[in-house]
Amino acid sequence: MRGAFMDRYISVWFLTPALLFLLFILVGPFGFMVWTSFTDLSFALPDRDGNLVGFDNFRRLMRDTLFWDSFSLTMRFMFLAVFAELLLGFAIAQVLFHHVRQRRFVLTLLMVPMMLAPIAVGLIWKLLLQGDFGMVTYYLRKVGILGDQEVILSNSDLVLAAIIGIDIWQWTPFVVLVMLAGLMSLPREPYEAAVMDGARPLQIFRDITLPLLRPIIALVVLLRGIDAFKEFDKVFLLTGGGPGSATELLSIYTYRMNFRNWDLGYGAACAFMVYFVVLIMCSIFYKAVYWNEGRPTARTDRPT
Amino acid sequence: MPTWQHGNQRVLARAAIAAVGALIIATASQSANAWTLEEAAAPYKGTTIRTVGEALPPLEALAKMKHEFEERTGITVEVEMYEHSEAVNKVMLDLNSRRGRYDFIIQPHRELGRFVENGHLVALNQFMDDPKLRNPAFAPEDVLYDALWKEISWYGGKMYGYPFTALNMYMWYRTDLIADPKEQAGFKEKFGYDLAPPTNLDQYRDLAEWFTRPDERFYGTAIQGKRHEALWYEWLNFLYAYGADMMDVSSGSACGPIIVNSPAAIAATEYYKSLMAYSPPDTLNYFWDDVMALMQQGKVFELIMWNDATYAVAVDTDASTVVGKMGFAATPLGPTGKAVGQVEGWTYLVPAYSKNQEAAYLFIQWMMEYDQQLNQHLNGGASARPDVYATDEVIALPYSQASMDSNAAAIAKPTIPASPQITDILVREISAYLSDQKSVKDALDTAAAEMHELLGDCAPLRYPVQ
Amino acid sequence: MKQSWRIAAFAAVIAVLVIALLPYVWIILTSFKTRVDALSDTPIWLFTPTFKHYPTVFLDKGYLPLVWNSAIVAVSTTVLSLVIGAPAAYIFARHNFKAKEDLFFFFLTTRMAPPISIVVPLFLLFTEIGIIDKLIAVIIAHTSFNLSLVVWMMRGFFADIPREVDEAAQMDGLSRVGMFIRVLVPVAAPGLAASAILCFMLSWNEFLYAFILVAFEGRTLTVGIPGLITPHGTLWGQVAAVAVIATLPIIVFTTLVQRHLVRGLTFGAVKG
Repeated sequence: MRGAFMDRYISVWFLTPALLFLLFILVGPFGFMVWTSFTDLSFALPDRDGNLVGFDNFRRLMRDTLFWDSFSLTMRFMFLAVFAELLLGFAIAQVLFHHVRQRRFVLTLLMVPMMLAPIAVGLIWKLLLQGDFGMVTYYLRKVGILGDQEVILSNSDLVLAAIIGIDIWQWTPFVVLVMLAGLMSLPREPYEAAVMDGARPLQIFRDITLPLLRPIIALVVLLRGIDAFKEFDKVFLLTGGGPGSATELLSIYTYRMNFRNWDLGYGAACAFMVYFVVLIMCSIFYKAVYWNEGRPTARTDRPT
Repeated sequence: MPTWQHGNQRVLARAAIAAVGALIIATASQSANAWTLEEAAAPYKGTTIRTVGEALPPLEALAKMKHEFEERTGITVEVEMYEHSEAVNKVMLDLNSRRGRYDFIIQPHRELGRFVENGHLVALNQFMDDPKLRNPAFAPEDVLYDALWKEISWYGGKMYGYPFTALNMYMWYRTDLIADPKEQAGFKEKFGYDLAPPTNLDQYRDLAEWFTRPDERFYGTAIQGKRHEALWYEWLNFLYAYGADMMDVSSGSACGPIIVNSPAAIAATEYYKSLMAYSPPDTLNYFWDDVMALMQQGKVFELIMWNDATYAVAVDTDASTVVGKMGFAATPLGPTGKAVGQVEGWTYLVPAYSKNQEAAYLFIQWMMEYDQQLNQHLNGGASARPDVYATDEVIALPYSQASMDSNAAAIAKPTIPASPQITDILVREISAYLSDQKSVKDALDTAAAEMHELLGDCAPLRYPVQ
Repeated sequence: MKQSWRIAAFAAVIAVLVIALLPYVWIILTSFKTRVDALSDTPIWLFTPTFKHYPTVFLDKGYLPLVWNSAIVAVSTTVLSLVIGAPAAYIFARHNFKAKEDLFFFFLTTRMAPPISIVVPLFLLFTEIGIIDKLIAVIIAHTSFNLSLVVWMMRGFFADIPREVDEAAQMDGLSRVGMFIRVLVPVAAPGLAASAILCFMLSWNEFLYAFILVAFEGRTLTVGIPGLITPHGTLWGQVAAVAVIATLPIIVFTTLVQRHLVRGLTFGAVKG
């Protein structure tokens, strides 16, 4: 047989390039970041050339109330945004799946928000939510949701809701896309069987659709959760983390440490904490979805 | 006379003639060897020098003007333009990686301390003292605003560059509204004195109150309340006007007692917040760009704003609806009665890793000459040469007087390495106070404590925090 | 009952589309408005359009090469990620080995590192090996996050393909590698298309790496946007023009591939 040599070690040939690539481009710099978090490296202050300081940065991190405020704010942002996106996205996907024939067309249009560069999203919404000439502000006032003199981005009570709303606007299409793909790839037999058994739509949904879709739902929640936790571009542009610290997400805080204060040692410690938290979140999800009673339940694998 | 004496006389005569001839030739070639740019640049012909700065009219003007320099010297000049914070980030990375990508840089003066104390720059004295490079006609001590130059481009007693722009803030207001008889009558009735451009901060607030008409969507003023350094700059005007400061020092490169939480500072910050009542509701979302747009759209009466933004409001008819209706004056006086202004500017600097330092120096020197400075200033620049301001064309601009007055009253701000960090701390705290997240005392005390922690013993707290 | 559901669904879809598209439509309109119109108090829907923003920003300000740079980077990283990632995904889908799930998890973790902290060491690393300031630096940096996306997405798509397809191909005399290239890849094309779209888009829209790692001449379109925010006013018309041009290719690309994508997603199990 041709290619027998390659075949025998196909796992190696197919996997190694990816592993090597990531090792050099990510693990290396990541290692540097971890190393830096144990030093006092600063580009701004003199005599801070990267001398080891042990756990000083982490001790400072524990005491840093600004960091933890930012952390809890980011968690809130993430939970609310992802939850809303999941519900909304799933609902829309269902509607498209069951009731709309021109899915393709609708999907293309629907995907526009997620295709815009996050920076562009920030600028667009800045224009829309401006107090004086913002189109959305104008209509919100007209409809009465917003008081006549009320504003959004200067309002520390409303601003967080606003950026969650923008995130929902931007990323629900992603959830729709993946959910729809999942719905379309569902096997028909269980449904046919259930209908024959006289099951009601709600039952079918709960007992067949949901379990079958669980890996897809988990994938979506996982990917959106990670990205929401790392959210930066559009919020930074819109509010700069303000008013006060009302929208100071963790990545904005880390950005300030690294690129304003150039306190790279401490900034690396902050980034490491972010990474660590996301790692934990992923592990929980991964185990919950892909492992059950100690063995993998990934529905889609069919090992040879 | 004996023959040999005749011979000697002839020799002497010839020698004398030769000597005089030589002297004449020497004197002639001395003036022929007077310094010229072309000669000085000859050894560097064919090199390319690269710089980076903020994408604004002054730099755009430089990019247009550089062609003359290139033709005369054969040195190519490449200009990279970025948004404000990007221009700073790019340079920081370049300097710290010691790559030497930029042969000279144009940076905000507050970054100076960081660069100097980390050994990234070369002092320009070595070039100034080199007769091959130095244009003898260029005497910066005579032709620049001296205090400005010292604050913007000097650090720790050494000279690192020249001012690229001399920025300051002053008051903008609507002259047409002041001239309106109905406004004059109404104002006099309510406040008891004549409507006129405000000369002190109390009047400034009164006029803001008078012109605030939410139903007409017109407001007295607008503060730059977004969590952004624009806030800090604006706040500083009032801080200085109340006789307060961040640290009790006389020059930017010094470290000294922290006084940012003094009673005067608290009063100034409270005054600053009081202006919110006469600002559009979205004022905490504005930075310099937004308030400028407001003025251009004719939505506010008065502002404290930047000299380099004035052109777009007072002259540019494409962008502004209030051309011809604008008046300018120095920032109104505070309780101290003393005129104040800010020292701010971008400065030319030469990195230590630059491979073409001499060529870069020649370009910078050339740009600082009167002709180039005038050209740049008239195209949206902000020169640091008094003789430029004395030119008729410049005097004709409506905002020149205000600019000069501010320059004259300028107060230094920190340029020590921790300076940008100090700004961030203050922006965060003041923003929190403006949005009612904490009290003014709490905000300034927190800021003071953090500054002390950052700077250490050289900056004790004059007003201790409980 | 069914009919009223249909109407409700239709209405819901229209509402959702309006919400999704209105902001974008607004920015398109803004790209044709004069500054005074764009910043007017009351939103203006009917106005005299000006076409000057596009030539001003793309020709006068030289933003056209930035489009080219964005394209080069996005296409290259997509191709690179697919070429390296798809085979890896296949192994995860078809093979079993001891550390498989842990290794797969490792691929996920590579998406988690915040770019903000990786960018400085990446900058220093690339400077050392001399590729800094060239587009290849950004391409590699983008592939670092696109790769795991491809692996994750394609694992599912490959696993969806029944084993019978593999066996049939092998009985036809193809080696495993040949089978992968000639049979599985075409069959998984919709999944590849979906992954490709996402890679392209993420790269095209990315800001931080593109800004830090490449020189001025190699700037991408996204990096050029903040340059239009100046103390002289955000040039809304020009920003809008750039935003429109920046999104147009992605919309076109998606439309072209969407057909394939959707058809592929309705692919059922192969039976006989």
